[in-house]
Amino acid sequence: MIRRGFQLAARLGHHRGLLGDPRILPRLNPASAFGSSTDSMFSRFLPEKTDLKDDALPDASWCLNMLSLDQEFLEKTKSSGWIKLPSFKSNGDHIGLKLPSGLAVSSDKGDCRIFTRCIQVEGQGFEYVVFFQPSKKKSVCLFQPGPYLEGPPGFTHGGSLAAMMDETFSKTAFLAGEGLFTLSFNIRFKNLIPMSSLVVMDIEVEKIEDQKLYMSCLVHSRDQQTVYTKSSGVFLQLQLEEESPQ
Amino acid sequence: MEAVVTVTPRTCPLSCLLRFLLYFLRSFSSEEVILRDYSVPNPSWNKDLRLLFDQFMKKCEDGSWKRLPSYKRIPAEKIQDFKTHLLDPKLMKEEQMSQTQLFTRSFDDGLGFEYVMFYSDVEKRMVCLFQGGPYLEGPPGFVHGGAIATMIDTTVGMCALMAGGVVMTANLNINYKRPIPLCSAVTINSQLDKVEGRKFFVSCNVQSVDEKTLYSEATNAEVEANLGFVSGSSWLQIPNFQHQDSLPLRDDQHRSA
Repeated sequence: MIRRGFQLAARLGHHRGLLGDPRILPRLNPASAFGSSTDSMFSRFLPEKTDLKDDALPDASWCLNMLSLDQEFLEKTKSSGWIKLPSFKSNGDHIGLKLPSGLAVSSDKGDCRIFTRCIQVEGQGFEYVVFFQPSKKKSVCLFQPGPYLEGPPGFTHGGSLAAMMDETFSKTAFLAGEGLFTLSFNIRFKNLIPMSSLVVMDIEVEKIEDQKLYMSCLVHSRDQQTVYTKSSGVFLQLQLEEESPQ
Repeated sequence: MEAVVTVTPRTCPLSCLLRFLLYFLRSFSSEEVILRDYSVPNPSWNKDLRLLFDQFMKKCEDGSWKRLPSYKRIPAEKIQDFKTHLLDPKLMKEEQMSQTQLFTRSFDDGLGFEYVMFYSDVEKRMVCLFQGGPYLEGPPGFVHGGAIATMIDTTVGMCALMAGGVVMTANLNINYKRPIPLCSAVTINSQLDKVEGRKFFVSCNVQSVDEKTLYSEATNAEVEANLGFVSGSSWLQIPNFQHQDSLPLRDDQHRSA
Protein backbone atom coordinates (compact mmCIF):
# COMPACT_ATOMS: atom_id res chain seq x y z
CA MET A 1 0.00 0.00 0.00
CA ILE A 2 1.31 3.38 -0.98
CA ARG A 3 0.22 4.87 2.29
CA ARG A 4 2.60 2.60 4.18
CA GLY A 5 5.25 2.67 1.53
CA PHE A 6 6.20 6.30 1.66
CA GLN A 7 7.04 8.80 4.34
CA LEU A 8 7.10 12.25 2.86
CA ALA A 9 8.71 15.16 4.60
CA ALA A 10 7.70 18.67 3.70
CA ARG A 11 10.35 21.23 3.00
CA LEU A 12 9.20 24.67 3.80
CA GLY A 13 9.02 27.61 1.55
CA HIS A 14 10.03 30.90 3.03
CA HIS A 15 6.60 31.86 4.28
CA ARG A 16 7.67 33.23 7.64
CA GLY A 17 4.28 34.67 8.49
CA LEU A 18 2.57 31.29 8.54
CA LEU A 19 5.26 29.35 10.29
CA GLY A 20 6.82 31.97 12.51
CA ASP A 21 10.17 30.42 11.83
CA PRO A 22 13.02 32.93 11.96
CA ARG A 23 15.27 30.90 9.66
CA ILE A 24 15.42 31.78 6.00
CA LEU A 25 14.27 28.65 4.24
CA PRO A 26 14.92 27.52 0.66
CA ARG A 27 12.59 28.67 -2.08
CA LEU A 28 10.31 26.19 -3.72
CA ASN A 29 12.15 24.52 -6.58
CA PRO A 30 9.70 22.63 -8.77
CA ALA A 31 12.40 20.88 -10.72
CA SER A 32 14.22 19.29 -7.85
CA ALA A 33 11.84 17.29 -5.71
CA PHE A 34 10.90 13.77 -6.61
CA GLY A 35 7.35 14.43 -5.51
CA SER A 36 6.72 17.50 -7.60
CA SER A 37 5.39 15.92 -10.78
CA THR A 38 1.65 15.47 -11.08
CA ASP A 39 1.94 11.78 -11.90
CA SER A 40 3.78 10.84 -8.78
CA MET A 41 1.46 13.05 -6.73
CA PHE A 42 -1.46 11.10 -8.10
CA SER A 43 0.09 7.74 -7.53
CA ARG A 44 0.45 8.64 -3.87
CA PHE A 45 -3.03 10.03 -3.59
CA LEU A 46 -4.86 7.33 -5.48
CA PRO A 47 -3.68 3.93 -4.30
CA GLU A 48 -4.35 1.12 -6.75
CA LYS A 49 -5.22 -1.32 -4.05
CA THR A 50 -6.42 -0.50 -0.62
CA ASP A 51 -8.65 -1.92 2.05
CA LEU A 52 -9.44 1.56 3.34
CA LYS A 53 -13.11 2.43 3.12
CA ASP A 54 -13.85 4.87 0.32
CA ASP A 55 -16.59 7.21 1.55
CA ALA A 56 -17.10 8.79 -1.86
CA LEU A 57 -19.26 5.93 -3.09
CA PRO A 58 -23.05 6.05 -3.45
CA ASP A 59 -25.15 4.88 -0.56
CA ALA A 60 -28.86 4.67 0.20
CA SER A 61 -29.00 8.29 1.36
CA TRP A 62 -27.93 9.80 -1.97
CA CYS A 63 -30.82 11.57 -3.70
CA LEU A 64 -31.66 10.77 -7.32
CA ASN A 65 -30.04 13.93 -8.61
CA MET A 66 -26.79 13.04 -6.93
CA LEU A 67 -26.82 9.48 -8.21
CA SER A 68 -27.44 10.49 -11.78
CA LEU A 69 -24.87 13.27 -11.77
CA ASP A 70 -22.35 10.93 -10.20
CA GLN A 71 -23.02 8.53 -13.04
CA GLU A 72 -22.51 11.31 -15.62
CA PHE A 73 -19.13 12.16 -14.18
CA LEU A 74 -18.11 8.53 -13.95
CA GLU A 75 -18.69 8.35 -17.69
CA LYS A 76 -16.40 11.35 -18.08
CA THR A 77 -13.67 9.56 -16.16
CA LYS A 78 -13.61 7.00 -18.96
CA SER A 79 -13.41 9.43 -21.84
CA SER A 80 -12.65 13.06 -20.95
CA GLY A 81 -9.72 12.92 -18.59
CA TRP A 82 -11.61 13.30 -15.32
CA ILE A 83 -10.59 11.43 -12.18
CA LYS A 84 -12.82 10.48 -9.29
CA LEU A 85 -11.06 11.14 -6.01
CA PRO A 86 -11.37 8.49 -3.32
CA SER A 87 -12.14 9.78 0.13
CA PHE A 88 -10.71 8.15 3.22
CA LYS A 89 -11.49 8.86 6.83
CA SER A 90 -8.25 10.72 7.52
CA ASN A 91 -5.79 12.79 5.49
CA GLY A 92 -3.00 10.57 6.72
CA ASP A 93 -4.64 7.69 4.86
CA HIS A 94 -4.28 9.52 1.57
CA ILE A 95 -0.59 10.29 1.40
CA GLY A 96 1.09 9.58 4.73
CA LEU A 97 2.21 13.17 4.75
CA LYS A 98 4.75 14.13 7.34
CA LEU A 99 5.06 17.79 8.27
CA PRO A 100 8.42 19.37 9.06
CA SER A 101 9.73 19.12 12.61
CA GLY A 102 9.12 22.82 13.27
CA LEU A 103 5.46 22.48 12.43
CA ALA A 104 4.41 18.92 13.14
CA VAL A 105 2.54 18.11 16.32
CA SER A 106 2.58 14.78 18.07
CA SER A 107 -0.36 12.75 16.91
CA ASP A 108 -1.39 11.03 20.09
CA LYS A 109 -4.94 12.26 19.65
CA GLY A 110 -6.27 8.83 18.95
CA ASP A 111 -8.78 8.42 16.19
CA CYS A 112 -8.54 11.54 14.04
CA ARG A 113 -10.95 12.13 11.23
CA ILE A 114 -10.87 14.52 8.37
CA PHE A 115 -13.53 17.08 9.19
CA THR A 116 -15.78 16.37 6.25
CA ARG A 117 -15.84 12.68 7.13
CA CYS A 118 -16.51 13.29 10.82
CA ILE A 119 -20.06 12.01 10.75
CA GLN A 120 -19.94 8.46 9.51
CA VAL A 121 -23.65 7.71 9.90
CA GLU A 122 -25.01 7.28 6.40
CA GLY A 123 -26.81 10.32 5.11
CA GLN A 124 -26.59 12.39 8.28
CA GLY A 125 -23.48 14.46 7.63
CA PHE A 126 -21.46 15.27 4.53
CA GLU A 127 -22.32 13.12 1.53
CA TYR A 128 -20.01 14.14 -1.27
CA VAL A 129 -17.79 13.05 -4.12
CA VAL A 130 -15.10 15.05 -5.91
CA PHE A 131 -14.09 14.72 -9.56
CA PHE A 132 -10.87 16.34 -10.75
CA GLN A 133 -9.74 17.23 -14.26
CA PRO A 134 -5.91 17.50 -14.17
CA SER A 135 -5.50 19.06 -17.63
CA LYS A 136 -7.64 22.05 -16.72
CA LYS A 137 -6.98 22.08 -12.97
CA LYS A 138 -10.69 22.00 -12.32
CA SER A 139 -12.80 20.13 -9.80
CA VAL A 140 -16.44 19.40 -9.36
CA CYS A 141 -17.86 18.39 -5.99
CA LEU A 142 -21.32 16.89 -5.69
CA PHE A 143 -22.48 17.67 -2.17
CA GLN A 144 -25.60 16.63 -0.28
CA PRO A 145 -25.72 18.06 3.28
CA GLY A 146 -27.45 15.84 5.87
CA PRO A 147 -29.64 16.74 8.86
CA TYR A 148 -26.71 16.91 11.27
CA LEU A 149 -25.37 19.90 9.35
CA GLU A 150 -28.23 22.17 10.24
CA GLY A 151 -27.80 25.89 10.81
CA PRO A 152 -30.98 27.91 10.26
CA PRO A 153 -33.91 25.52 10.79
CA GLY A 154 -34.30 23.30 7.73
CA PHE A 155 -31.21 24.68 6.01
CA THR A 156 -27.52 23.94 5.88
CA HIS A 157 -25.09 25.54 8.32
CA GLY A 158 -22.94 28.13 6.60
CA GLY A 159 -19.93 26.67 8.34
CA SER A 160 -20.51 23.19 6.95
CA LEU A 161 -20.67 24.69 3.49
CA ALA A 162 -17.46 26.57 4.20
CA ALA A 163 -15.91 23.30 5.32
CA MET A 164 -16.96 21.53 2.14
CA MET A 165 -15.52 24.30 0.00
CA ASP A 166 -12.28 24.43 1.97
CA GLU A 167 -11.94 20.67 1.72
CA THR A 168 -12.48 20.61 -2.04
CA PHE A 169 -10.12 23.56 -2.43
CA SER A 170 -7.51 21.70 -0.43
CA LYS A 171 -7.68 18.48 -2.46
CA THR A 172 -7.64 20.48 -5.71
CA ALA A 173 -4.76 22.61 -4.51
CA PHE A 174 -2.80 19.55 -3.47
CA LEU A 175 -3.21 17.75 -6.77
CA ALA A 176 -2.83 20.84 -8.93
CA GLY A 177 0.28 22.13 -7.23
CA GLU A 178 1.16 20.82 -3.78
CA GLY A 179 -1.05 23.34 -2.02
CA LEU A 180 -1.42 22.44 1.62
CA PHE A 181 -2.53 25.18 4.02
CA THR A 182 -5.35 27.66 3.58
CA LEU A 183 -4.04 31.21 3.66
CA SER A 184 -7.25 33.06 3.02
CA PHE A 185 -10.84 32.30 2.27
CA ASN A 186 -13.64 34.59 1.14
CA ILE A 187 -17.26 33.41 0.94
CA ARG A 188 -20.28 35.29 -0.33
CA PHE A 189 -23.50 33.53 0.66
CA LYS A 190 -26.35 34.21 -1.75
CA ASN A 191 -29.06 31.70 -0.93
CA LEU A 192 -29.72 29.13 1.75
CA ILE A 193 -29.32 25.48 0.89
CA PRO A 194 -32.21 23.25 1.96
CA MET A 195 -31.26 20.13 3.90
CA SER A 196 -30.58 17.00 1.89
CA SER A 197 -30.69 18.68 -1.48
CA LEU A 198 -27.91 18.32 -4.03
CA VAL A 199 -25.55 21.21 -4.73
CA VAL A 200 -22.81 21.28 -7.31
CA MET A 201 -19.50 23.05 -6.63
CA ASP A 202 -17.37 24.12 -9.56
CA ILE A 203 -13.78 24.87 -8.57
CA GLU A 204 -11.02 26.26 -10.73
CA VAL A 205 -7.40 27.07 -10.13
CA GLU A 206 -7.08 30.60 -11.46
CA LYS A 207 -3.34 31.00 -11.08
CA ILE A 208 -0.27 29.74 -9.28
CA GLU A 209 2.12 32.48 -8.29
CA ASP A 210 4.73 33.11 -5.64
CA GLN A 211 4.15 29.75 -3.90
CA LYS A 212 0.42 30.36 -3.68
CA LEU A 213 -2.51 28.79 -5.47
CA TYR A 214 -5.50 31.02 -6.18
CA MET A 215 -8.82 29.26 -6.62
CA SER A 216 -12.46 30.17 -7.14
CA CYS A 217 -15.63 28.24 -6.43
CA LEU A 218 -19.23 28.55 -7.51
CA VAL A 219 -21.92 26.58 -5.66
CA HIS A 220 -25.13 26.15 -7.59
CA SER A 221 -28.14 23.93 -8.12
CA ARG A 222 -27.91 21.16 -10.68
CA ASP A 223 -29.99 23.09 -13.21
CA GLN A 224 -27.77 26.17 -12.68
CA GLN A 225 -30.84 28.29 -11.93
CA THR A 226 -29.86 29.05 -8.34
CA VAL A 227 -26.50 30.27 -7.15
CA TYR A 228 -25.96 29.46 -3.51
CA THR A 229 -22.45 30.72 -2.84
CA LYS A 230 -19.41 32.21 -4.49
CA SER A 231 -16.06 31.89 -2.87
CA SER A 232 -12.34 32.18 -3.42
CA GLY A 233 -9.40 30.66 -1.61
CA VAL A 234 -5.63 31.02 -1.52
CA PHE A 235 -3.46 28.06 -0.54
CA LEU A 236 0.20 27.85 0.39
CA GLN A 237 2.44 25.49 -1.54
CA LEU A 238 4.74 23.25 0.40
CA GLN A 239 7.36 21.28 -1.45
CA LEU A 240 7.43 17.59 -0.74
CA GLU A 241 10.45 15.40 -0.66
CA GLU A 242 10.62 11.66 -0.39
CA GLU A 243 12.44 10.17 2.54
CA SER A 244 13.83 6.67 2.43
CA PRO A 245 11.73 4.31 4.56
CA GLN A 246 13.26 3.30 7.94
CA MET B 1 -38.70 20.37 35.82
CA GLU B 2 -40.68 20.00 39.00
CA ALA B 3 -43.14 17.19 39.62
CA VAL B 4 -46.38 18.70 40.76
CA VAL B 5 -49.05 16.34 41.84
CA THR B 6 -52.37 17.75 42.85
CA VAL B 7 -54.58 15.65 44.96
CA THR B 8 -58.28 16.34 44.86
CA PRO B 9 -60.86 14.63 47.03
CA ARG B 10 -61.96 12.60 44.02
CA THR B 11 -58.44 11.56 42.94
CA CYS B 12 -57.56 8.05 43.87
CA PRO B 13 -54.01 7.36 45.03
CA LEU B 14 -53.36 4.98 42.13
CA SER B 15 -54.02 7.59 39.45
CA CYS B 16 -51.86 10.07 41.36
CA LEU B 17 -49.08 7.54 41.36
CA LEU B 18 -49.50 6.87 37.66
CA ARG B 19 -49.44 10.57 36.81
CA PHE B 20 -46.35 11.05 38.90
CA LEU B 21 -44.61 8.12 37.23
CA LEU B 22 -45.50 9.42 33.78
CA TYR B 23 -44.12 12.85 34.67
CA PHE B 24 -41.00 11.27 36.10
CA LEU B 25 -40.42 9.16 32.98
CA ARG B 26 -40.99 12.08 30.63
CA SER B 27 -38.31 14.04 32.37
CA PHE B 28 -35.83 11.35 31.34
CA SER B 29 -37.03 11.09 27.76
CA SER B 30 -35.15 12.24 24.67
CA GLU B 31 -36.36 15.76 25.32
CA GLU B 32 -33.95 15.91 28.22
CA VAL B 33 -31.07 15.04 25.88
CA ILE B 34 -32.07 17.75 23.44
CA LEU B 35 -32.32 20.30 26.25
CA ARG B 36 -28.84 19.63 27.60
CA ASP B 37 -26.79 22.82 27.80
CA TYR B 38 -23.49 22.06 26.07
CA SER B 39 -21.75 25.28 27.03
CA VAL B 40 -20.51 24.00 30.39
CA PRO B 41 -17.32 22.06 31.17
CA ASN B 42 -17.22 18.34 30.54
CA PRO B 43 -14.35 15.86 31.06
CA SER B 44 -12.98 16.45 27.55
CA TRP B 45 -12.22 20.12 28.24
CA ASN B 46 -8.50 20.71 28.65
CA LYS B 47 -6.93 22.75 31.43
CA ASP B 48 -6.65 25.94 29.38
CA LEU B 49 -10.28 25.84 28.39
CA ARG B 50 -11.41 25.32 31.95
CA LEU B 51 -9.21 28.17 33.18
CA LEU B 52 -10.61 30.54 30.58
CA PHE B 53 -14.13 29.42 31.45
CA ASP B 54 -13.54 30.20 35.11
CA GLN B 55 -12.09 33.61 34.25
CA PHE B 56 -15.13 34.54 32.20
CA MET B 57 -17.58 33.17 34.74
CA LYS B 58 -15.97 35.58 37.21
CA LYS B 59 -16.66 38.42 34.79
CA CYS B 60 -20.31 37.36 34.74
CA GLU B 61 -20.68 37.92 38.47
CA ASP B 62 -21.34 41.64 38.16
CA GLY B 63 -23.69 41.19 35.22
CA SER B 64 -21.45 42.88 32.65
CA TRP B 65 -20.91 39.58 30.85
CA LYS B 66 -23.36 36.76 30.17
CA ARG B 67 -22.72 33.10 29.38
CA LEU B 68 -24.82 31.86 26.49
CA PRO B 69 -26.36 28.40 26.84
CA SER B 70 -26.15 26.14 23.79
CA TYR B 71 -28.39 23.26 22.74
CA LYS B 72 -28.38 20.51 20.14
CA ARG B 73 -31.53 21.87 18.59
CA ILE B 74 -32.96 25.32 18.31
CA PRO B 75 -35.91 25.80 20.70
CA ALA B 76 -39.36 25.75 19.07
CA GLU B 77 -40.12 29.44 19.55
CA LYS B 78 -36.93 30.45 17.76
CA ILE B 79 -37.84 28.20 14.84
CA GLN B 80 -41.15 30.00 14.61
CA ASP B 81 -39.34 33.36 14.61
CA PHE B 82 -37.13 32.18 11.81
CA LYS B 83 -40.02 30.82 9.73
CA THR B 84 -41.90 34.08 10.06
CA HIS B 85 -38.96 36.08 8.86
CA LEU B 86 -37.52 33.95 6.18
CA LEU B 87 -37.83 33.38 2.49
CA ASP B 88 -39.56 30.38 1.10
CA PRO B 89 -41.31 28.15 3.62
CA LYS B 90 -41.91 25.66 0.78
CA LEU B 91 -38.23 24.90 0.99
CA MET B 92 -38.45 23.76 4.55
CA LYS B 93 -39.41 20.13 4.82
CA GLU B 94 -41.39 19.76 7.99
CA GLU B 95 -40.76 16.09 8.50
CA GLN B 96 -37.02 16.53 8.35
CA MET B 97 -36.86 19.14 10.99
CA SER B 98 -37.44 16.70 13.79
CA GLN B 99 -34.34 14.69 12.79
CA THR B 100 -31.98 17.60 12.43
CA GLN B 101 -29.47 18.90 14.89
CA LEU B 102 -27.26 21.93 15.08
CA PHE B 103 -24.06 21.20 13.21
CA THR B 104 -21.71 22.38 15.90
CA ARG B 105 -23.40 20.12 18.45
CA SER B 106 -23.48 16.97 16.34
CA PHE B 107 -20.55 15.28 18.06
CA ASP B 108 -19.95 13.26 21.20
CA ASP B 109 -18.06 15.01 24.00
CA GLY B 110 -14.52 15.98 23.06
CA LEU B 111 -14.59 14.74 19.49
CA GLY B 112 -15.79 17.82 17.65
CA PHE B 113 -16.55 21.38 18.69
CA GLU B 114 -16.20 22.12 22.40
CA TYR B 115 -17.11 25.74 22.97
CA VAL B 116 -18.84 28.29 25.13
CA MET B 117 -19.75 31.89 24.34
CA PHE B 118 -19.76 34.93 26.58
CA TYR B 119 -21.34 38.22 25.61
CA SER B 120 -20.84 41.78 26.80
CA ASP B 121 -23.72 44.05 25.87
CA VAL B 122 -21.83 47.18 26.90
CA GLU B 123 -18.83 46.42 24.71
CA LYS B 124 -20.88 44.61 22.00
CA ARG B 125 -18.33 41.82 22.18
CA MET B 126 -18.83 38.10 21.81
CA VAL B 127 -16.03 35.86 23.02
CA CYS B 128 -16.03 32.18 22.15
CA LEU B 129 -13.73 29.77 23.98
CA PHE B 130 -13.11 26.91 21.58
CA GLN B 131 -11.36 23.56 21.63
CA GLY B 132 -11.33 21.55 18.38
CA GLY B 133 -11.38 17.76 18.73
CA PRO B 134 -9.88 14.97 16.59
CA TYR B 135 -12.90 14.76 14.28
CA LEU B 136 -12.16 18.26 12.99
CA GLU B 137 -8.85 17.40 11.38
CA GLY B 138 -7.51 19.07 8.27
CA PRO B 139 -3.72 18.92 7.81
CA PRO B 140 -2.56 16.05 10.06
CA GLY B 141 -2.61 17.20 13.70
CA PHE B 142 -4.31 20.53 12.95
CA VAL B 143 -7.84 21.86 12.82
CA HIS B 144 -9.53 21.95 9.40
CA GLY B 145 -9.78 25.43 7.85
CA GLY B 146 -13.48 24.79 7.38
CA ALA B 147 -13.96 24.02 11.07
CA ILE B 148 -12.30 27.32 11.94
CA ALA B 149 -14.58 29.03 9.43
CA THR B 150 -17.55 27.35 11.10
CA MET B 151 -16.62 28.69 14.52
CA ILE B 152 -15.89 32.18 13.20
CA ASP B 153 -19.23 32.16 11.38
CA THR B 154 -21.01 31.01 14.54
CA THR B 155 -19.32 33.61 16.74
CA VAL B 156 -19.81 36.65 14.50
CA GLY B 157 -23.36 35.49 13.89
CA MET B 158 -24.16 35.33 17.56
CA CYS B 159 -22.54 38.74 18.08
CA ALA B 160 -24.84 40.31 15.50
CA LEU B 161 -27.83 38.33 16.66
CA MET B 162 -27.50 39.71 20.18
CA ALA B 163 -27.62 43.19 18.72
CA GLY B 164 -30.61 42.57 16.54
CA GLY B 165 -32.77 39.49 16.13
CA VAL B 166 -32.96 37.20 13.11
CA VAL B 167 -29.78 37.42 11.13
CA MET B 168 -27.81 35.44 8.59
CA THR B 169 -24.34 35.48 7.15
CA ALA B 170 -23.89 36.99 3.70
CA ASN B 171 -20.15 37.31 3.56
CA LEU B 172 -17.22 35.80 5.40
CA ASN B 173 -13.62 36.77 4.78
CA ILE B 174 -10.94 34.91 6.74
CA ASN B 175 -7.15 35.17 6.77
CA TYR B 176 -5.33 32.22 8.25
CA LYS B 177 -2.03 33.09 9.91
CA ARG B 178 -1.05 29.92 11.72
CA PRO B 179 -2.59 26.45 11.87
CA ILE B 180 -4.36 25.54 15.12
CA PRO B 181 -3.28 22.25 16.72
CA LEU B 182 -6.08 19.80 17.47
CA CYS B 183 -7.31 19.70 21.06
CA SER B 184 -5.82 23.07 21.95
CA ALA B 185 -7.94 25.91 23.38
CA VAL B 186 -8.28 29.23 21.56
CA THR B 187 -10.32 32.37 22.06
CA ILE B 188 -12.40 33.78 19.25
CA ASN B 189 -13.00 37.47 19.89
CA SER B 190 -15.63 39.23 17.86
CA GLN B 191 -16.64 42.83 17.98
CA LEU B 192 -19.55 44.71 16.48
CA ASP B 193 -17.83 47.52 14.58
CA LYS B 194 -20.70 49.46 13.08
CA VAL B 195 -24.33 49.36 12.10
CA GLU B 196 -25.59 50.86 8.86
CA GLY B 197 -29.33 50.51 8.66
CA ARG B 198 -29.94 46.80 8.44
CA LYS B 199 -26.28 45.93 8.01
CA PHE B 200 -24.11 44.96 10.90
CA PHE B 201 -20.34 44.84 10.50
CA VAL B 202 -18.43 42.53 12.81
CA SER B 203 -14.74 41.77 12.96
CA CYS B 204 -13.14 38.81 14.64
CA ASN B 205 -9.80 37.26 15.55
CA VAL B 206 -8.69 33.87 16.81
CA GLN B 207 -5.92 33.90 19.41
CA SER B 208 -4.04 31.57 21.68
CA VAL B 209 -4.94 31.51 25.38
CA ASP B 210 -1.97 33.72 26.28
CA GLU B 211 -2.88 36.12 23.44
CA LYS B 212 0.63 35.82 22.01
CA THR B 213 -0.33 33.94 18.85
CA LEU B 214 -2.80 35.17 16.26
CA TYR B 215 -4.20 32.19 14.40
CA SER B 216 -6.70 33.83 12.08
CA GLU B 217 -8.83 36.89 11.59
CA ALA B 218 -12.02 37.80 9.81
CA THR B 219 -12.37 41.22 8.28
CA ASN B 220 -15.11 43.32 6.68
CA ALA B 221 -17.66 42.31 4.19
CA GLU B 222 -20.88 43.03 2.34
CA VAL B 223 -24.53 42.64 3.01
CA GLU B 224 -27.44 41.21 1.11
CA ALA B 225 -30.32 43.24 2.41
CA ASN B 226 -33.51 41.79 0.91
CA LEU B 227 -33.00 38.25 1.99
CA GLY B 228 -32.04 39.23 5.45
CA PHE B 229 -28.53 38.08 4.79
CA VAL B 230 -25.82 39.83 6.58
CA SER B 231 -22.22 40.00 5.91
CA GLY B 232 -20.47 37.35 7.77
CA SER B 233 -18.33 39.91 9.02
CA SER B 234 -21.55 41.85 8.97
CA TRP B 235 -24.98 40.76 10.01
CA LEU B 236 -28.40 41.95 9.16
CA GLN B 237 -31.44 42.68 11.24
CA ILE B 238 -34.76 42.06 9.49
CA PRO B 239 -37.63 43.18 11.67
CA ASN B 240 -40.16 43.56 8.82
CA PHE B 241 -38.92 41.15 6.31
CA GLN B 242 -40.96 40.93 3.10
CA HIS B 243 -40.26 37.48 1.82
CA GLN B 244 -40.23 36.54 -1.82
CA ASP B 245 -43.05 34.24 -2.84
CA SER B 246 -41.02 32.67 -5.57
CA LEU B 247 -38.00 30.44 -5.39
CA PRO B 248 -34.77 31.84 -3.90
CA LEU B 249 -33.37 34.76 -5.81
CA ARG B 250 -31.03 33.99 -8.60
CA ASP B 251 -27.64 35.56 -8.67
CA ASP B 252 -28.56 37.77 -11.60
CA GLN B 253 -31.51 39.29 -9.79
CA HIS B 254 -30.75 42.64 -8.32
CA ARG B 255 -30.78 42.99 -4.60
CA SER B 256 -30.62 46.45 -3.16
CA ALA B 257 -30.19 47.59 0.37
